[in-house]
Amino acid sequence: MSEAPAAAVSIERLTRTFGGVPAVKEVSFTVGAGEIHGLCGHNGAGKSTVVKMLSGQLTPDSGRIVIDGQAVQLGSRQAAQRLGIALVDQELSVVPALTVLDNLLLGDVRAPLVNRRRAATARCRQVLRDMGLDRLHPQQPLSDLSIGERQLVEIARALSQNARLVILDEPTATLSDVETEHVFAAIRRVAAQGCSVIFVSHRLSEVLQLCDTVTVLRDGRKIATTPSRELTVADLIVAMLGEAPHRLTAARSPDPRADHELRVEHLRVPGRLADFSLTAQAGRVYALAGQLGSGASDVLRALAGLHPQATGTVRLRDHAVPFRSPAGAARAGVAFVSNDRKSEGLFLDKPIAANLIATRLPSLARAGMLSSRRARQAASSLAELAGIPDRRLGEPAAALSGGNQQKVFVSRCLGRDDVYALLLDEPTRGVDIGGRAAVHRLLRAAADAGLIVLFSSTELEELLELGDVIITMREARVVAQYDGGVDGAVLMRDMTHGTHAA
Amino acid sequence: MIRRLPYRPEILIPVVALGVMVVAFLCTPLFNGHALSSFDLFNTFQGLTQLGLLTLGLGLTMVAGEFDLSVVGTYALGGMIAVRTGQSLPFLGVLAAVAAGAAIGAVQGGLIARLRISSLVVTLATYIALLGATSAMSGGLDVTYTNSAATLWLDRPVAVIFSVPSLITLVAFAIAAVIFGGTRLGREIRAVGGDRRASRVAGVRVDRTLVGLFTASGTLAGLGGALFSYSYATANPNPGFQPLILATVGCLVGGVSLAGGRGLPAGLLAGALSVALLRQIDAVTAIPDYFTELLYAALLGIIVAIDAPGLRRGLDRLRAHALTTRLRDRHQ
Amino acid sequence: MTTANNDNRSAAAAAGDALARPAEPGVPAPGTAGRVPRGALAGWRPDALDIGIVVVVLAVIVAGALTTRFFSLANARAILASSAWVGITAIGATVVMIAGSAVSLAVSQTATVAAMIFFETQQLGLLLAIVLTLLAGVAITALQGAVIGYWAANPIVLTIAAGFAIDGVAIWISGGTTVYPKVTAFNGLNATPLGLPLAVYVLLGLTVGAEWFLRRTTAGRQMYLLGENPAAARAAGLPVARVTVSAWAFFGACIALTGIFLAAFNTIANSSVGGTLSLDAIAAVLVGGTAIGGGKGSALRTLGGAVLISAISDLLLLRGFSTGIQLLVKGILVLLVVIAVHVRSARGRR
Repeated sequence: MSEAPAAAVSIERLTRTFGGVPAVKEVSFTVGAGEIHGLCGHNGAGKSTVVKMLSGQLTPDSGRIVIDGQAVQLGSRQAAQRLGIALVDQELSVVPALTVLDNLLLGDVRAPLVNRRRAATARCRQVLRDMGLDRLHPQQPLSDLSIGERQLVEIARALSQNARLVILDEPTATLSDVETEHVFAAIRRVAAQGCSVIFVSHRLSEVLQLCDTVTVLRDGRKIATTPSRELTVADLIVAMLGEAPHRLTAARSPDPRADHELRVEHLRVPGRLADFSLTAQAGRVYALAGQLGSGASDVLRALAGLHPQATGTVRLRDHAVPFRSPAGAARAGVAFVSNDRKSEGLFLDKPIAANLIATRLPSLARAGMLSSRRARQAASSLAELAGIPDRRLGEPAAALSGGNQQKVFVSRCLGRDDVYALLLDEPTRGVDIGGRAAVHRLLRAAADAGLIVLFSSTELEELLELGDVIITMREARVVAQYDGGVDGAVLMRDMTHGTHAA
Repeated sequence: MIRRLPYRPEILIPVVALGVMVVAFLCTPLFNGHALSSFDLFNTFQGLTQLGLLTLGLGLTMVAGEFDLSVVGTYALGGMIAVRTGQSLPFLGVLAAVAAGAAIGAVQGGLIARLRISSLVVTLATYIALLGATSAMSGGLDVTYTNSAATLWLDRPVAVIFSVPSLITLVAFAIAAVIFGGTRLGREIRAVGGDRRASRVAGVRVDRTLVGLFTASGTLAGLGGALFSYSYATANPNPGFQPLILATVGCLVGGVSLAGGRGLPAGLLAGALSVALLRQIDAVTAIPDYFTELLYAALLGIIVAIDAPGLRRGLDRLRAHALTTRLRDRHQ
Repeated sequence: MTTANNDNRSAAAAAGDALARPAEPGVPAPGTAGRVPRGALAGWRPDALDIGIVVVVLAVIVAGALTTRFFSLANARAILASSAWVGITAIGATVVMIAGSAVSLAVSQTATVAAMIFFETQQLGLLLAIVLTLLAGVAITALQGAVIGYWAANPIVLTIAAGFAIDGVAIWISGGTTVYPKVTAFNGLNATPLGLPLAVYVLLGLTVGAEWFLRRTTAGRQMYLLGENPAAARAAGLPVARVTVSAWAFFGACIALTGIFLAAFNTIANSSVGGTLSLDAIAAVLVGGTAIGGGKGSALRTLGGAVLISAISDLLLLRGFSTGIQLLVKGILVLLVVIAVHVRSARGRR
């Protein structure tokens, strides 16, 4: 089928640049009618940008999108919908306030102006049955559903629109194996009816199982388009990483001077994290390896106080950490760097200097009054640490590049004598190569200075470069813990399909 | 992590509120010794006319996650325009008021949707400006509506307990209910309020929906103002802030959340009716004013608590803490 | 785009245009100082807000020059005096808006209650009466702040509820009658040292105090952070609830002060003393350029906003326009400033 009998959708030399940095460079591929086309690539390879351009959320700088032989302009999601392009976004995009039925019909250009309730309900039941969701009622509000069920509803929406092209961006990240099987069956059904499908996923064995053809992207360029029957998971990993995967070699042994530790016992977050225990020592870097939905980021969020429903015990330096409120966790000496620095990290309209000292104001004040001299000194020394020139300190943080913003975010937590554990969720997401190296240096220096550093990541190089101890996670559980002696292929295997399916 | 709510607040809140008010209404003879008459009901529905259209307009924007403070300004202006232009031809006056309301709403909606600016501040500014414009039109004085035939016609009981304005109000609610429950538009309005980003991704025309909603709320407020001033035979240039507060109470008691995405026209009707009933009870019994105010405060206090995410987090925290302690005890 | 905008900022600051200066309580960064001197106005491309404010101020000046008695000492006093009551409350409202709690719709009721308490406690002595009234205002308003801070309650719904509760309790206790003071010591508050009402001095002092508090204290700086990005402030472990409560407590003190002055001026306290204070205060804050979403703004600018509104109303009054026209102009002014502030900050973000 890889010969693409009818070229239903093709993209030709698509290019898109963000702030001078090219995210996608002259990428072309064709998806035939009825073809399921896998799109693979490491983080930052350009998958999301391609998806956004194809679904009408971004306009390409150059290149064109051709549907059934006609070049099309996709100015908005509506325009794309009208041309028959349905999307399952990377981020869950259903509305909890609406019912299941309403969500299925939302944005469907063929939905009648006046509801035909009986017909719609019957069709909805059919769609739900195909997804293995017989237990749901069409009139149930979506807020009653679990995250996995909501994701299934979003997938069902895209697959039920009789679209010409369905794009699924990481649709199975939060699904169980059984649910995934239902999704695959449904995808195969729509493909059999002649619909083209683009399937983006980190779970490589799934890609090979489902797709007819796989296109691999790396650093914004297309590496290859290959029929999937000619590929193995190992081939894909090599194509995505480009070279032989790194190997964790010199894992540091625990520093005998490390006198404090973080002890986490039976940490649970209902619906997100099954059971997590860890004893982390000062001076070492602990890496949590796990894809979206694996629970890795939930460990950090729970420890930082952002999951009030979390249960378990957490002790830092032999004191109990009140880990169900962020202020409590911060007082106990935990600093947290969120994976979303825009909405949960920096104060973008505030000057860089104000951002650097945002969390240490009390230590710069006497009797509640801020000493501007000490504030200036603190900001200056942190700016030096972050490698940001002094003269830029008055600019708003929004003026910085992603990498520099991240450096500010991380530096904000450093050099404080009341912080003992530093938690970072995806510390280099959306950060350029140079910024990445700088952030890594900062983290290593922090560990050397006696901090407990715990971070989560999906990037193999990062995990291997930075982690002294790597803990792989999948489906809300720990898969394995490695104290050195592990390579990228093993981590990838753990993260994508667990230890059992080697 | 999913909280399975055993109820839907947009139904539960208005049903409970309306139930309480109806029981209280039925009990009024115990307080004032007079049997209930159909006239009490007629008056209640007259009160509903006053607040109902405002509540509906405000509620529609609230469901979409916005807050249209300007409805009272449009209401005052609509009343003034109707009285000014409709002395001999009442229908023309209503038409002019409605057109003005729609235009004001459309302009505001355009600003809010295009600039993505907070509707609270835009409509607050418009509210002040509209009150000023109304006041300037009348020289700051009440203007009398001299077409007493029209006034009498409007206030004539229809089917014993209704009047033309109260029927128009009920029809407006019915239309809104049909649009909400039975069309694509209704679905999209609730989607826009529930999660704007997800709606955009799904392909909803968010901006157009917002402009439409503000136009609708302006239209309803203009209509409400016209009907009210005809019915009372005067246009008041400055109704103050109180109608807005009561309309907001009607919306909140009607199960709408200020966060958006939640609410039904039937609930809004129940909310407006609850407020109207309370005012009627107030009028016919000797219940002190402060009692009504404290009742409002208590109702809103409950609604605040239901909608407060921090309170929910606090409860989660307590529950998790209790669970942890229990688990630990079992281990030992 | 952003860099260009930033150039504007330092240049505008150098131009000494207090109203056009951005409300960033930036750390006095060594770099900024070094950037200012290059060409006083070189590269200053004014944006909508700068132009708007210059145009409005110029229009007021020109129209004022053409109006007899506008530029007179007596009239200047009148403008300041009429901005004082609303101004005092607006300073408090600024702090709350900066801290991200948007607005309060219970201001009028709180001021009324403060006025009543002030008169009811007169016989205890003027000073004690003032202290007790302030404490009551702080308690009432800080309680609302606590619900907002700890429960993340919606401020609009909560303050509407609080407005009903305050009004209800006040009528319940007072029986809904007008309160007359038994002692007239309060008349001292109507004094006009150097020809200006005492309230004006209080307003000026409060403005300076609030500005200092916002820029120079830990709590003040945390208010800006909390207002700009509540999720980030929470995730960073800042004491969100405590900061919110302190902002509201300060607001309560300001409202109580306004209540005291209103009572002293009217010599009686009844349910209409508060009047339209809620909205007037919000209008002054918004005209001062404080963003409703929080995180930006300053007490000084609010003072400017309050005085500007007063000046325009005064000008229109002198030229014989009705109160309706005054309101209309005020509404349009608020609308224009709000749009300009929004456009500017949206542009700065990109």
